[in-house]
Amino acid sequence: MFYQPKNIQEALGLKAELKQRATFLAGGTDIVVLMNHGKAAPENFIDLAHIPELQAIHRHNSTLELAGNVTHAQAGKLPIRCLAQASLSVGGPGIRELGTLAGNLATASPAGDGSTALLALDAEVELTSVRGARRMPLDKFFLDYRRTMLDDDEMITKIIVPTNYKSDWAKNGKRGAMNISIVATAVAITPKKEVRIALASVAATPIRCYKAEKFLAKNGLNAGTIQQAADIVRGEIKPITDHRASADYKVHLSGVMVRRLLENLVKA
Amino acid sequence: MKKAAKKTLPANDGGLWPLRFTLNGKKVSVKVQPTQTLLDFLRIEMGLTGTKGACLEGECGSCYVLVDGKPMNSCLMLVPQVQDRNVTTIEGFAHNKKLDVIQQKFVECGAVQCGYCTPGLIVAAKALLAENPHPTREEFLVGMEGNICRCTGYNKILRACELAADEMGLQKK
Repeated sequence: MFYQPKNIQEALGLKAELKQRATFLAGGTDIVVLMNHGKAAPENFIDLAHIPELQAIHRHNSTLELAGNVTHAQAGKLPIRCLAQASLSVGGPGIRELGTLAGNLATASPAGDGSTALLALDAEVELTSVRGARRMPLDKFFLDYRRTMLDDDEMITKIIVPTNYKSDWAKNGKRGAMNISIVATAVAITPKKEVRIALASVAATPIRCYKAEKFLAKNGLNAGTIQQAADIVRGEIKPITDHRASADYKVHLSGVMVRRLLENLVKA
Repeated sequence: MKKAAKKTLPANDGGLWPLRFTLNGKKVSVKVQPTQTLLDFLRIEMGLTGTKGACLEGECGSCYVLVDGKPMNSCLMLVPQVQDRNVTTIEGFAHNKKLDVIQQKFVECGAVQCGYCTPGLIVAAKALLAENPHPTREEFLVGMEGNICRCTGYNKILRACELAADEMGLQKK
């Protein structure tokens, strides 16, 4: 059965009723691929595209609240550097018009482009069900390979992103376009001058590199500490060898990318 | 079922979905299989075979259509997602037997070899030029990055798009 609720309450009511038997449909860019390849055949869909509340972007003093259906195309126009860059690197124009940031998080791909940017920005997610809403930092949301904190009756209603961080982002893959990353990385500096480092495709989930961040908090971010921080990142990640690249290469690449991004951030 | 569920249920017709949308300028009202992709629906049910399917995973762009003016991969959409929306396929580009400027420039430049990618490319170019009438070469590359041509290079395709942009600029003046 296909449902097209007109507001969040209706959608949550349906999900609470059907639980695992229903799949939320945001952009569809992951689930329909699985269906096309005969790897999924959901019994029920709850289409979120016709819920106006889920399209909104609200501006506050130093944060943006992005509702669950904000697309990569929309996020690509936001004045948040690393998030805009990450969003514009997802797929091609057609995928970016369909796919949503929240969907990117819910899919919890280890290679999630948006996830790295949002992790480095200390973004929070709001998960809502008929039982109520709860908020958590994004790094508490990812549990394991394609596993998240989302319960069977919950949806991501909002992503809350600070606008006062300085940030940068980079991704390396086999081609310039339509790329799934070999490594993607985001770095950011908070208003209190703390450094954030996040990477994708180097562990079971997109991750923050806390050891390298702590090292920089203690020793400061400058030309002398950047290489050491990059070396700590190399030790902190646990990539696997796959069809995109070997684990060794991903470790090497991560060190280089983090070093370059931090150098740019110091110069900027 | 709970109350909320009942309210949301469309008129149930053997699991079929009552779809209303605009297709190439005409209002369409039809019962559809809701798990059918928009691509299959357009080709099989509507007989509009200009839109192609190839990779079925969003990599190649041969299935692009315009939905409310935005390019979208019809192979990744389920039909009910276009409820109340405005869909334009390549068949909706020519008016009164006159080709769209982009189509005309593809012909003039010989930007077509086997032709399989062409409808998707023209749809992508249309969307790009609507948003940005004077793209730089770099902006063209980004706007067309979701489309793959496997016959040959992209030079003639880009040339056709650039000439179309020039001509559309002239027409406006």
